[in-house]
Parts: sequence; structure tokens; C-alpha cells
Amino acid sequence: MNEYSSDKYRLHLMLCAGTACVSNKSFKIKVALDEELKKQGLDREVIVVMTGCNGFCAVGPVMTVMPDGIFYHSVTNEIIPHLVEEHFLKGRPVKRLMFTPPTEKIAIPKMMDIGFFSRQTLIALRNRGLIDPEIIDEYIARDGYRALAKALTEMSPEEIITEVKKSGLRGRGGAGFPTGLKWELCRNQPGDSKYIICNADEGDPGAYMDRSIVEADPHSVIEGMLIGARAIGASKGYVYIRAEYPLAMKRLEIALDQAREYGLIGEKIFDTDFSFDISIKQGAGAFVCGEETSLIGSIEGRPPEPRQRPPYPVESGLWGKPTNINNVETWATIPVIIDRGADWFSSIGTQLSKGTKVFSLVGKINNTGLVEVPMGITLREIIYDIGGGIPKGKKFKAIQTGGPSGGCIPASLINLPVDYEKLTEAGSIMGSGGLIVMDEDTCVVDVAKYFIDFTNDESCGKCASCRDGSSELLEILRRISRGDGKEGDLQALEELANAIKDASMCGLGQTLPNPVLSTLKYFEDEYIEHIKYKRCSALVCKGIISSACQHICPISQDVPNYVGLIAQGKFEEAIKVVRKENPLPLICGRVCNTPCEKKCVAGEWDDPIAIRLLKRFLADYEMRHGVVVEEKPKSDKKEKVAIVGSGPAGLTCAHSLALEGYKVTVLESQEIPGGMLSLCIPDFRLPKEVLKYEIDRIKGLGVEIKTNTTVGKDISLNKLKDEYNAVFIAIGAYKGLKMKIPGENTEGVIDAIEFLMDINLGRQVEIGDLVIVVGGGNSAIDAARVARRLGKDTKILYRRTRAEMPAIKSEIEEALNEGVDIQFLAAPINVISSNGRLEAVECIRMELGEMDQSGRRRPVPAEGSEFKVGVDTLILAISQEPDISSLDGNQLNISKWNTLVVDPETLSTNIKGIFAGGDVVTGPNTVTEAMAHGKTAAEMIDKYIKGEKLERKYEVTRPALYVQAVKLTEEETKSLKRPKAQFIPTDRRLKDFAEVELGFTEADAILEAKRCLRCDLEAKEEK
Amino acid sequence: MPKLSIKDLDKISERVKKTTLLREGAGRAKITVHMGTCGIAAGARGIMNTLMDEFEKQEIKDVILTSSGCAGLCSREPMATVELKDEAPVKYVDLTPEKMRRVLAEHVNGGRVVSEYALAKGSERVS
Repeated sequence: MNEYSSDKYRLHLMLCAGTACVSNKSFKIKVALDEELKKQGLDREVIVVMTGCNGFCAVGPVMTVMPDGIFYHSVTNEIIPHLVEEHFLKGRPVKRLMFTPPTEKIAIPKMMDIGFFSRQTLIALRNRGLIDPEIIDEYIARDGYRALAKALTEMSPEEIITEVKKSGLRGRGGAGFPTGLKWELCRNQPGDSKYIICNADEGDPGAYMDRSIVEADPHSVIEGMLIGARAIGASKGYVYIRAEYPLAMKRLEIALDQAREYGLIGEKIFDTDFSFDISIKQGAGAFVCGEETSLIGSIEGRPPEPRQRPPYPVESGLWGKPTNINNVETWATIPVIIDRGADWFSSIGTQLSKGTKVFSLVGKINNTGLVEVPMGITLREIIYDIGGGIPKGKKFKAIQTGGPSGGCIPASLINLPVDYEKLTEAGSIMGSGGLIVMDEDTCVVDVAKYFIDFTNDESCGKCASCRDGSSELLEILRRISRGDGKEGDLQALEELANAIKDASMCGLGQTLPNPVLSTLKYFEDEYIEHIKYKRCSALVCKGIISSACQHICPISQDVPNYVGLIAQGKFEEAIKVVRKENPLPLICGRVCNTPCEKKCVAGEWDDPIAIRLLKRFLADYEMRHGVVVEEKPKSDKKEKVAIVGSGPAGLTCAHSLALEGYKVTVLESQEIPGGMLSLCIPDFRLPKEVLKYEIDRIKGLGVEIKTNTTVGKDISLNKLKDEYNAVFIAIGAYKGLKMKIPGENTEGVIDAIEFLMDINLGRQVEIGDLVIVVGGGNSAIDAARVARRLGKDTKILYRRTRAEMPAIKSEIEEALNEGVDIQFLAAPINVISSNGRLEAVECIRMELGEMDQSGRRRPVPAEGSEFKVGVDTLILAISQEPDISSLDGNQLNISKWNTLVVDPETLSTNIKGIFAGGDVVTGPNTVTEAMAHGKTAAEMIDKYIKGEKLERKYEVTRPALYVQAVKLTEEETKSLKRPKAQFIPTDRRLKDFAEVELGFTEADAILEAKRCLRCDLEAKEEK
Repeated sequence: MPKLSIKDLDKISERVKKTTLLREGAGRAKITVHMGTCGIAAGARGIMNTLMDEFEKQEIKDVILTSSGCAGLCSREPMATVELKDEAPVKYVDLTPEKMRRVLAEHVNGGRVVSEYALAKGSERVS
């Protein structure tokens, strides 16, 4: 062995050379660093050390600079000259290479200050990143082979076993069998010839802890095996490692050579009577080889198939001899237990699960990587404190533990402590430690399908239950995700899953149904949604959704097709596609909250397609150019339908029924039609003439709108019921909720909806100079922007942060641009007045506290943070509920939220012939949701009048026509960007109520439409 | 390399001790040479080289040697800060290789501050 030389250097650059960082070119970085160090004359002072996996694989290549502990990530060749000069020569660490947690802004210089590292407890991974795995001396210097020395000279084999038993260590490969007990069973077998095996056949998708341990610290595994061999009485060991792990294999070979050279493997180790040798056996990567009897078969040269147990390998294993198999992590943990003692080890963890466990944390998580944590840590701590939470602020949905043999644990169990027992109770397993995090965009049916596809592929085929059973499971799951699921499929899945469990010989078959059973247990609704309602709310199953935008749209707008037609410049055809499903495109083009854009696939790496503005472009084009899409009633029916309320639900219902040929009368209590659209949305977002255009079109179909007619006052509901064949109630939710704090009945405290209505109806409104609006929804933003236009100093108080604000994001932005001061994390607690006059509002600062079960942090008041804000007019925009006091429908069923109770599928109320929909049923909701109710109600009313059975037909989402995709030039592919929405300048806005947002030009619209990825075409090909 | 005895484990550890301590970020003392542009111009590289040579010659294994930026007192460069474990840091100014060697011998190894070269005890507070 060469003389040890690293001691000469003052700085050690610990560059990760685990497989993940190597794929990120860490070897090239090493070459570049060496060259640059030489160039700047630092090669005598600074050394680059290639370490094993550091664990923080998400941000590789990573490098820790010792002794300072500065952690650099995403190191590139380009930055090396700067880095060498600034940090290694001048001692100024380079900020831009430091890690900044996704939720924060300030970079963290030191490795141990980064949550990902500081929350971990390293036992199996104790040397990761600290030593060069190819230099045995560095392992020895960190107490390596001391445990072996102790075991050989100070302990008897029985004492070793007692110590391991006492430590409570359980097998880290999956099943969690007590390690010491296994050793004892093997030791007690008669015979001189015994074997030990290290199972490094790690095959779970997304799991790589064993590879990492072998790559980072191969001697820890060797030392563990030596101690185990001594305890059991074995003289020969094998490391069974899959051929896909070349780097691990190479490091293991080097380590074995070095250990052999030092006499740590071989004859009479440390001059005792103990002799032991280790060989490497390469596996071909069959998943079943992780099963011990198959693994043994593979070493013996037989086909890797499991055999019946008992006899267990400890009785009759390799070549019929007693054989003890443990996995990599178990072996790597042994030396620490012997060195530091069982008491120390068992002080970590829970009652039945001792010590730490290495997990590979992957999936929808910010800090992908390898983590070692004490048993008993909660899933929440792993996901949020170490994993840094879910990317892009999305919602945590579930976590798959234990790989394909494990189960899916839902977000509601986020506070579950992780140990063998708790995971089993939750329907999953510890397994080897794979953790796959899933967010709201993950479909559980798809997940189950994925894992069954994997195990079906990997089934060795020996047992029919596993071989054919998994094929059948897969077929059913494929059918469900195609939208062809049948009633009875769930029962079939469950029965089949249990049969496979019972009838399969080895762990592969016995556990493969787990992903199906656990998702069925926790997400049955989602399966039913696929089978019965033909919906995939995670927007994953292509066969069901066609495209995310169309599937998520409450009124199923055929987005890819109208966007595709815009790209071709065919505007008239495009607006026809829009009008087919949407009677209010001018309105949706302005005020829709765009769930489609939030789920647009293009938005995953770039801006989403500007779907709303494209729709607005088409609707404006139609209005301006007079290219009216003609609509005509199908027939002329004599039946009459009364619709109570002329908001989006009522108008849409009227439109659909009129097209069917019914005589429709809409009764509106206010002086103008439109409901919330005309009464509550200010002109600067939705001009009156735009609304009038759409309402006139609907009137053009023969719909009669009677304004100033209040049902319950001017005409009774009973009378309506008698005079009309059916009634649809869509009176919205206008009644503002109170804050329930002292003083809020003072004069000067007004309701946002009433305020907006007064403005929209042109009534005189008196408000003071200091205005405060309370709330975070669209009404709050609208009220504040109106107040600004009245020349008032305006603040908004909202008790959560901007990220949680329910109002449309671009509207929040514009409110800020218009000078509205939004105070986040502030909640009113007391309204102060003197002599009956409003004076101030006392508020308290909120803090984001503990996470609730959905993974969102709840706002909690910060004690002692009370403050007062002066105010003349306080506008409440908390929320609304329906006001059904005027309706004399006292026989209608009403919920505790004062909403009307309907059958969610048919929208029929408890009174025959009376239907209800929109906000009066759902409480405050979006325009498109109300419109969807209007359409459903029309469909049901039609059936009702025709005397047909009231039932919905659910179908998978499909585009109605085929529109060819426009080919982009290479230049366009590179340069196309979402055009910035244009607004009139802020200084001109506050003078009047003119529309603020300007639409797209033709050229803009075509370019933007070209950017669409046309997900619909993918579904077409798949079908 | 012949077969190891248990005692050899200690010898190897001793040989690798400096590396171990450095990677654990631990040591009985830390010397920081200020290597801003001003420091380098005034000869900080020479100071660093002197220390590197002395460390090797004297087989010093438990002292961390590092660099940092300009200490803000450019006219008194080259400068170095010596920090013994659990003691306040001391800044030395106007250093030469000879002075540095004396600081190493008396302060780092001997525990006595060389007051003639010292600027002041302590460091500025970073807020």
C-alpha cells in the first residue's frame, strides 16, 4: 500500500462519486478541478477526494469542502476557475453554488445547517462523504475494523450473538426478522461448513440504499460480514450483487483486495484462529433473486426460482449447508453495534424497531436522495423537514413505502411514525426502504398498474397464482385506467389479490398485491371515479382524460381543438368549437379561474398555454366581426320551464333548454339579468356590454327574462311549479358572512357583495377615505379595486399567505399594481369605534403553524402581536351563503350551510319537478362550475319532462373532432413564449371603470396557440 | 504491507489523523490566512506556503489551516487569525514567514499569544 498522502493538504474537496453524481459528470468535474488547482498553484494545498454517495442526489454533483463544511451543489465545469480562485485561494465561499431550500430565499453555506442533512442520524451511512471508499486507511482511521478486533479478541461468538440480539437489530432487507436470532439459529445448526451471504440484489424501483452503501463504504459491509461469520462459525461468504451496479462492484473488489492485503480477510485474522474469505457473485438483475432461496439457487448456478421453506436457509441453504443471509444495510450496521454496544444502539428508535433506517426518498419531492433516520420518525418529518416538501407547492397525496411489495399510505396518515409495526398496521411494509412520494398529480390506479406491471414482469413463473394472477390483475387495472372498468372489477381485484397472497410460495407473490390492496383500502373512491364516472382527477389516465385541460374543465371545453384551429388561423371554426359547449365564452374568456391552465402540461416546464385569453380572443373576434355562430332550437316544444335566477347557472340552463325547444322563462329579482356576473363583478373586469351580448344571444333563442321578479314575493314557488313543467332554482349565494368578532355591527362595517352590487347598479355609495377589506377571495380583490377607483386608501387583510389566497392570481397582481396594500397573515379580532363611529380595527399577526393532514400549514395567532389599523370603512368579504329566506319553498331540504340539498347526480331537490344548481347548492363557487350545473340541470329537466329515467350517462372525455397539429419551425420551437397579458397602464386605470385587461392580437393568438402540445392527439394514438 | 495486527490499526489511524480531523471539521487550533487580493499582493501566499511546509516538517496533524477573504485592514496585510480551541481568535498583522513561524511555535503550539505581532483579540460580530 502506498504511503498515505492526503494528510498533506489543507483543504479536502469531498466530491461525490456515487452513481447519481457520476451520471451528472462528477468524474469530469474532478479532472477540471485538478487542472484548475494546478493552474492556480494550489495543487500542493488542495486535494479532490472522490467519495461515495453523499445522499443529496437531487442536486448533484455535490461537493463538501472540508474542514469548513461548505456544501456545494450542481457543480459545473464552467464555474470551476471562479470557484478555485474565490474559495480555495482567497477563502471566499461561492454563494451561487450553495443550496437554497425551495421554500426560502437565503442560501445555506454549511452542510450541517441544511435540513436535509441535519435531521439525519447516520449509522449505516456513517462514513458517507467522509472517506475515500477506495482507501482502506481512511476507513480504519474512522474506527474501522476495531469492532472486528473486539469481536475476535474480547468476545466469544455467543457473546457477539447476544450483543446483536440485545441491540434489537432487525433485518433491513424487508421482512425485519431479528438479526441476532437468525444468527443464533444458524450457529446452532450442526456441521462445520456454513456460509454467510450479503444480499446486494437490490431491485425495487426507485431504491438504491444498498448500492450507495457499497459505493461509499464497502469496508463497513466486509467488516460486518466478518463479525457475522465469526459469530455463526462460517468460513466463507458471498456478496451477491447485481451486474447493473458496476461502480459498487468495482469499489467492493478494491476493498476486498485491500482487506486481503492487510490480512483482514484470509487465514488467521489478527493472529486468531478465525479464517474467512469473501467472493463476489454477480446477479443478472432478476427481481426474484432478492428472495433468499432464489438467490441461493442463482449462486449455485440453478435457475433463480424460490423453493418451499422450511427448511430455511439457516438450516439448509447454499449447497445444502446452513446459510445466513442478511442485506447490505444490516451488515453495515453490525460493526457499530459491536463497537458502541447494544445499549447505545437500542436507545435509538421505537420499542420494537431499534436503530436507524436508510430510505431512498424519491418521486414528487424536492430533496430527492438517500436519508438515514431514527426509527419512529414521522412521515411528515421525512417528507417536509428532510425532503423539503412537494415541488411547486402541490399537495401531498400518498407515499409508497417498501417498493412494489409495499403499500400506498395516504396523506391523512402523514403523522404516522415509521417503524416495522406501524407500517404493517397501515397496510404497507418497511421493505428495503424505498419511499416514493406522490402528489396530487399522481393517480393511484396508475400507480397500482405500474407496480403490478413490474412484478408481473419479474414473476419467475413458478407459481401460477403469481404468474397468471398478476397478469389478470394487470389486465383489470389496465381496463380501469382505459375507462373500460366494469362494475364488479373492484371485488374481482380484491379477491384475486388475496388469492395471490395465499397461494404464492415466495415473498414476491405474497406481497405483489399490496399496492392494489392498499390503494383500494385508502383510495376506493378514486377507483370508483374511474370505473363509474369515467374520471381521473389526477389527470393521468390518458384513455379517460384525453387531455388534462378538457377533462378538468367543468363544461368539458374541447380546448386542444379550438386552440389547434386558432393555430391554423381558422377563427370561425374555432369559435364554433367553443360555442358547442359554452354559451358564455365572452365571460369565461374574462373571468374564468382557469383550472385548465393550472394543469396544462406545457406549464410543467414553461408557462401554461394562455387558454383563457385565447378563448377571449375568439369570443371578441366573433362579437367584433359579426361572424355569429348561429344557434337554433332543435324543435318547438310546448312544455315550459321556469328558471329562478339569471346567473351563469340559470343562463346556461336556459340556453340548453331553449336549444331543445322548450319555452323558458327566467325570473330575476334584480333590475338587470346576469346574477353575480352583472351584480358583483366590476366593469373593469367584465364590461356590461359584453354580458349584454351573451344574454341577448340567449334571449334570441326565445328565452324570456323577467327582471324585478322575486320568487316568493312576486310569485310563489308553488305557483311556478303548477304553471311550469319544471323549475330550476339557481339563485346563487349572496349573503355575506360575518367575522364573529366584537364590534362588527358598527356603522361603517359593510358587506362586500352589497357594496359591489350598489356600484354595479349605479347607486350612490358613500365610503370613507381609509378602506379595509377583509378576505382573500375574488370579491375581496374586486371590492378593494373598486375602492381604489373611488380614490380611497385601500388595504386588504388576509389571514394566510399569498400562496393560499383563493382569488385569481393575476387579479391579485393587478390589485397590487393599482396600489392596494395587502397585509398577509393578519386577522381582525376587534372592531373599535367611538361614539358609534368606526375608528380602527384591531388585528393579530398570524403564523403558519403545524401542518394539517393535507400538508398545509395552519395559520395560528401569534400571541402578543396585536396591532391597530385606522379605518373609516371596513368591507367584509369573508364568504357567502345562499339567502333562501325569500323563497317560500319551506318544504325544500336545506343543509346546515343554508344551501339547497339536491341529489348530486341529477340535481333534483326533494320536491318532484324542482331542480337546483349553482352556488345555491354548492355555496360560493366558480362561474364554470355553476355553468356545468346549468347544463346538467337542463339535461335532467329534459329527461324529466319526457318521462325518462333521471340518470346521468358518464363517458370518457374525447375530442369531438380531429384537428391537425401545426408543425413548428425549429426557430419557433425555440423562441415561442407565452405573450404577456396586456393591461391599460395603472395611472389611467383608476379614473374610471374601463376594462383593464386587453385581449390578444391575431398574431399573438396564433403564436400562442402554436405552443400548445396537443395532448389530445396522444390519446387518439393510444386508443 | 504485511498482515495487520490490532496495534497496527492505531498506527494507521495516527497516520491518517490529520485527514480524519480535517474532514470532521475538528482540530485543536485553526489558522486562517487572509487571502484577499490585498493579502495576496502583500505576500499571503508566502505565509500560506510557510505554514504548509512547517506543518509537514513538524508533522502537525491537528491544526486546521484555511484561508479567508480580506479582513478589512488592507494596510496591515498579510494577516492571519489564530484560534485555539475554546479560546478567542487572535489576529496577527504585517506577517512575514519568520513571524508566522514564531506564531506557530509560541501561540499555536505553545499556547502563548505573540503580543508584539497581534492586532487585537476577538473578531467583529457578524449580525
